[in-house]
Amino acid sequence: MEVVVKTDTKLVLLRLLLIFAGLGFIEASVRLNWIDRFFLASPLQAVEVLWAQLVSGNALYLILVTLYEIAAALLIATVVGLLVGFILWRYRLIGASYETLLAALFASPVILAYPIFLVIFGRTSAAVIILSSFFGAVPIILNTRSAFQQVNPILLQVGASMNLNRQRMFRHILLPAAAPAIFGGFRLGLTYILKSVLGLEYVVQVGGVGMWLSEAAFRFEVGEVYAGLVGTTLLSMLFLFMINRGEGWVRK
Amino acid sequence: MKPDLIHNTSTVFAARARTPGAVQLITLIVFVFVWQMIGAAGSIFAELFPPIMEILQSLWIYVSTPILIPHLSASLYEVLGGLLVGALFGIPLGVIFGSRLSFTQVTEPIILYLAVVPKIIVFPVFILFLGIGTHSKLAVGAIAAFFPIALLTIAGMREVKLVYLDVARTLGASKLKIATKVYLPAIAGYVFTGLRIGLGASVTGALLAETKIARAGLGFMIVEYYGQFRMADMYSLLLLIFILAALANWGMKALFSLVLPLPRSSQNVGEFV
Repeated sequence: MEVVVKTDTKLVLLRLLLIFAGLGFIEASVRLNWIDRFFLASPLQAVEVLWAQLVSGNALYLILVTLYEIAAALLIATVVGLLVGFILWRYRLIGASYETLLAALFASPVILAYPIFLVIFGRTSAAVIILSSFFGAVPIILNTRSAFQQVNPILLQVGASMNLNRQRMFRHILLPAAAPAIFGGFRLGLTYILKSVLGLEYVVQVGGVGMWLSEAAFRFEVGEVYAGLVGTTLLSMLFLFMINRGEGWVRK
Repeated sequence: MKPDLIHNTSTVFAARARTPGAVQLITLIVFVFVWQMIGAAGSIFAELFPPIMEILQSLWIYVSTPILIPHLSASLYEVLGGLLVGALFGIPLGVIFGSRLSFTQVTEPIILYLAVVPKIIVFPVFILFLGIGTHSKLAVGAIAAFFPIALLTIAGMREVKLVYLDVARTLGASKLKIATKVYLPAIAGYVFTGLRIGLGASVTGALLAETKIARAGLGFMIVEYYGQFRMADMYSLLLLIFILAALANWGMKALFSLVLPLPRSSQNVGEFV
């Protein structure tokens, strides 16, 4: 156990070393004027600007807006995804018919259809939330259906032999057996929602962190552009870290 | 008609209607019918539901006249250029990172974490360096394609079993022979899957960037039509993009199945792309 911990710590240190070496190289490139400051802000400058924005409350507010959009999209995607996924599993013909359609739709660049949502919802967070919830719902639907399909039939037979009614069978056997695979879909859904929310905020120039990045780019505020980039990257990474932790917890 | 014949015919029809293909066809018919009804009623978002015929006419104009050619060529340049650049960086780096377990353990999580970041947000940086022409979109396409290609190449390298390498070395195979006879067959399926997913990522990245700032391209046209509220033209263009993306995906699959008679299954590896 101790050996594993030591190996993990060593790996984390090596990764950090690699990241800081890369950042150090960029810092040196800017300070030594190898790259014009008009194009590239030094990592320290970006962090300084980000910190100033956080302290002033501006960035904090924008992060909260982004988090609200992610949470709202996730809520819609989860409710719709679980419900539709269950229906697609329960009714085999419907499941076989729509699974292919959903997968094909998901593989196509649907995000380009965002102007339709702007017409319906206006240039507001609602447009970002609804379109992002679609990207989150599809993997949840597909994984939910697949999760129920993969439940070991022996478990169902055990439930039947114990005379469990439908509700109890669902609650005590189907749901716990399918939960880890459903969480896999939830994890994917959250990842897609995160990418979609931040991407759409930037493109449509509405909402939180993505909008900040877009506005800074229009003003040619190089420091702010890189601060926004650092903030968005850190937010994405933090989410992935939390999802990985959450998955580990569910699988336990 | 005899009653049993009617019964048999209706039974056969009912059985055929209970296939996924029939349900999909019925869904399409219902979708078109509902679309037309909402458009004709004109009570909610009438502009959003132009007649289907108008959309198809617009689509016909796109495919039968040269109106879209400058935009299509700009988008193709960005998407295919992005895929090429993504592959030029992704495959060698994937091979290097996946060649040793220690390299993979250090680098793979970093690439996985960076893969989650939406690539479009790097667009302002590319504008600063490359301007608002096609090159900045090509760069977004490249960075979007890089991650699936690199991750799947690493996954392919991980699949190379040590015992194969030991056997090859025991047989006195040179480094070149090991590369072409052991590594290449093992990673080819993964690299091809990475290229296919990378193409989709490049399409999305480059065209989404076009919708932000551009002077030409299919994404640029979508936003132009949206700005002019030419919804039928916008829908037909979206439809054309979806068809082209599906054809490109299908074409790559067909090409790879010809090159690789026994493609490896690696669908789940690129889940973060």
